[in-house]
Amino acid sequence: MEKSESVQGKDIINQLAVVLRTGHFHTPDNVAVLSAIKRFLELINPVILQDGMLRIDLIGEFFYINENRVRYPLEFLLNFDYLIREFKRRELGSLTFVSQVRQEDMREFLRIFINAAFSTTPFEAMEAALEEIDSIRVERLKHIKEERDVDKRRLVKKTYFNAVSFTRGIMQKLRAGEKVSIKKAKRVIESMVDTLLSEESLLIGMTAIKDYDEYTYHHSVNVSILSIAIGQKIGLHRRALTELGLVALFHDLGKMEIPVEVLNKPTAFTEDEWKLIRRHPYWGARAILKLKGLDKTSILSAIVAFEHHVHYDYTGYPKVRRPLPLDFYSKIVAIADQYDAMTSSRVYSRVPLPPDRALSVMMERAGTQIDPILFKFFVNMVGVYPVGSLVLLDTRELGLVYECNPLFADRPRVMIIVDASGKRLEKGNVVDLTEKDSSGRYLRSIVKTLDPNKYKISLAEYLL
Amino acid sequence: MVLTDEIKDFIQALIKAKKNLHLYPENNPVYIKTLDDIYSRLTSVLQETDSITLRFKQYDILYDTDVVYHNEEKDESFALFFFKDGVRELTFKKGIPKEEFEEFMQVISSDFERDLVDDDIVTLMWEKDFQFISYVVDDTILVEDENYEDEATEQAKSGAAEDDEVMKAYEEAFGIEKSEGINIVPLTNEDLKSIVEEIENDQPEKSGKLISILFEMLYLADGKAEYEEISEFLKQTVRYAVQNGNLEAVIYCIRRINDAFDKESFSQDLRIYLRGIKYYINSIGFVKKLGEVLDEGVEFTQDIISEFASLLDKSSIPHFISILGDLKNISARKTVISILSELGKKDIQLLARGLNDRRWYVVRNIIYILRQIGDRSAVEFLLRAVRHSDKRVKKEAIRALGEMGDVTAVQTLKDCLDDEDEGVRMATVRAIGYLQTPVSRKILLEQINNKQFKEKSFTEKKEFFEAISRYRDTEVINTLFKILKKRAFFKRAKNEEMKAAAAYALGLMKEKSAVDLLEKLKSSKNRLLRENVQIALKRIRDGKE
Repeated sequence: MEKSESVQGKDIINQLAVVLRTGHFHTPDNVAVLSAIKRFLELINPVILQDGMLRIDLIGEFFYINENRVRYPLEFLLNFDYLIREFKRRELGSLTFVSQVRQEDMREFLRIFINAAFSTTPFEAMEAALEEIDSIRVERLKHIKEERDVDKRRLVKKTYFNAVSFTRGIMQKLRAGEKVSIKKAKRVIESMVDTLLSEESLLIGMTAIKDYDEYTYHHSVNVSILSIAIGQKIGLHRRALTELGLVALFHDLGKMEIPVEVLNKPTAFTEDEWKLIRRHPYWGARAILKLKGLDKTSILSAIVAFEHHVHYDYTGYPKVRRPLPLDFYSKIVAIADQYDAMTSSRVYSRVPLPPDRALSVMMERAGTQIDPILFKFFVNMVGVYPVGSLVLLDTRELGLVYECNPLFADRPRVMIIVDASGKRLEKGNVVDLTEKDSSGRYLRSIVKTLDPNKYKISLAEYLL
Repeated sequence: MVLTDEIKDFIQALIKAKKNLHLYPENNPVYIKTLDDIYSRLTSVLQETDSITLRFKQYDILYDTDVVYHNEEKDESFALFFFKDGVRELTFKKGIPKEEFEEFMQVISSDFERDLVDDDIVTLMWEKDFQFISYVVDDTILVEDENYEDEATEQAKSGAAEDDEVMKAYEEAFGIEKSEGINIVPLTNEDLKSIVEEIENDQPEKSGKLISILFEMLYLADGKAEYEEISEFLKQTVRYAVQNGNLEAVIYCIRRINDAFDKESFSQDLRIYLRGIKYYINSIGFVKKLGEVLDEGVEFTQDIISEFASLLDKSSIPHFISILGDLKNISARKTVISILSELGKKDIQLLARGLNDRRWYVVRNIIYILRQIGDRSAVEFLLRAVRHSDKRVKKEAIRALGEMGDVTAVQTLKDCLDDEDEGVRMATVRAIGYLQTPVSRKILLEQINNKQFKEKSFTEKKEFFEAISRYRDTEVINTLFKILKKRAFFKRAKNEEMKAAAAYALGLMKEKSAVDLLEKLKSSKNRLLRENVQIALKRIRDGKE
């Protein structure tokens, strides 16, 4: 249904959300519900006629209709988000209309769908009740990471390291006073956006490893990735994501002016060194404006470079005499930057915080230093236990969070490094904390978190 | 391969279409026809196959294994055009809508040679997110250092402590307190709504914000070199802002400079650079740039224009006069006139120098602006403008003199009543009417009572009577009654015209005492008289103008 998808995909998803929302407030016989159903059937039945069926899949944070990803339009953001939540609540992964759907079928489906939310096993309740309706089939939400192949991880690594190597090249060229290619920079960011759209948690996972010598370049790329991921969560379109990724990549350009021995010194900064550090937003904006003629990207990059430490409540630096509202992108980059800096020993603090602790600190800063709503999106994205968190499970296993789960923020995939009997494993199995036993209880849950740095645990050793 | 020839033809047509679409705007018939033709060629080939995949080599395009295009000319080669940006395969799928194909054609017809273009063909195609066109790109052109991944991975792993304390962590884990972690706070509809609003309200043009940051940077700058650099950025930004139709940003910049002088203490060096920015905004270069933008059809609200003009320096007056004569677009000229109407108040004499411009329409516009400003110090310049060789200028000057109501203009205006051009004479009558002085009244009555007066056209006569109707005194009313009562044996038609004009004037005056007299004339056989009498009666009775 390629053609139909391009024309109607977003409308179908939106209308399904309208049907369900209306159904929550009214009985299935209500005029508003019937009219919403009628409109929905007008959209889907022609597609079913043409393609033989219509299948809606929820994969990650995206809907697919007959295997084509539905674009995430801003005007339908609320309804898309609502539908994702309602699917997840019922562990519903796919909804297939196998033949022409009648109004009474849809009314019955609506009733079953709403009632399932009150069941302890919502998917099973829905599946059983739907046996009476021939035209509609459901499938359980797949935990899509189960059979991830090595190639995907390799591809993500390649994208990540290409971006870092490119960033290093740019910085070196700028230091040498050479011209840099913005065209190429855009291409690198586009490749990151593509990777993020298909392999979000893997790419975000790459940002957890901090053990590199040339961390400044990794930090720029990490901030770019995390910013794009927030942008994707809030529904920015591809072009805006590239723009955001690009300005985030250049946010710390001003650090070129800081001597490397200061940046990389292993001990805490002196007051004079802090003075230098606090000047980097000013130098960054200058460097960007000198880089090329003014255009939308250079203006935005200069703004973000200047503002990324100003703070939501203007208590950061540089101090501004006449504050104007912070740019939207500055607020996003500030969150990504703080998180990556706090979890690394190479940016400002010499003592890195474990990821979950960094999130707790940031939670305290939400509403003062950082935008509280954007921070909510961020937590939903990286999960309560971000990649790299050292966790003790209720099974007495010790593990490292290996991959976050976009559907269940507190149930990531964990690499076991000490098993239940207390035996050390080099690179143990990766377990999924959403797995349940036959009675519907989770097999494993996180009970405690520890600081991997305290125990000199190298994430690179396990995650690369 | 069966389709090889068709594909060859399609590629040649594609090259031709690329050129045409680059040359012509979207609404041009050539553009439309070219697009229709090339789309119909594509769909016709796609009737034979589900998709067409073209593979690119440096100078060749291949379909399956057949070379369907070859050109080694670097500037011309259609194969190299794709190859150099890394495109290795391009596929068109069956069912492609015309809109998507048009977007593709627009991408390949873009002007990639322009200096400020930061997008290559892959970026442009990527941004379109095509559904029926796919491509394979070789990203090795982006790789700076092929070995970086291996080196960085090895280095990161080698940095790991040999004696990590995993087992210690395991032992201690059971002793520590249960971690609370952070609570997932679900996103509410309000959160989503506020984000959507923020995205929607985010203005794409951010020069105003950049200006604000550049001012903050000026406060942080250290020494002359940095002041100079940042003030140059400010000049570039105001120029960029005006190019993008953001006059508010320019206003903001001037206000910040003014505030800096009025309220803040700065070093002498910085003051010099701030003055330099203001000087730039008032320079001919900047004003010309604004003119270009206006001529392209960009419009601003009257409030913005007035505020901008009020902040400009009088030194920019000659520059605006200069561009006034060069602008092609009427709306652009109106905007510049609005600017000068505000700005000119700062120096009437400087503005009046525009009266010496060699272009008559500029002179007329300057007179119009002087009239809008209404400053009586302009009268001496207008009196000279009355002698301009172009009657359109003359008329504008006469009107201005009348509206500005200066008695010193009476003699000059009286002279103009003898002008050979009826339009100039009528404008003069109107102007004298506006003056409302005893002298002007006397001039009008003398003219009306002159024996030669009845020889004027009815339109000109009517202008006089309309002017005299502004003086509602007994002498004027008696004169009009006398005209209405006058009988003539010769040149009766001219006499009836006089009566008609007098009746018209009494109507304008709503003179009730004229009703009886007018009643007698309302059935006159002379149509002109009859109609004007009826209009007058209606006005008097209805009390309407």
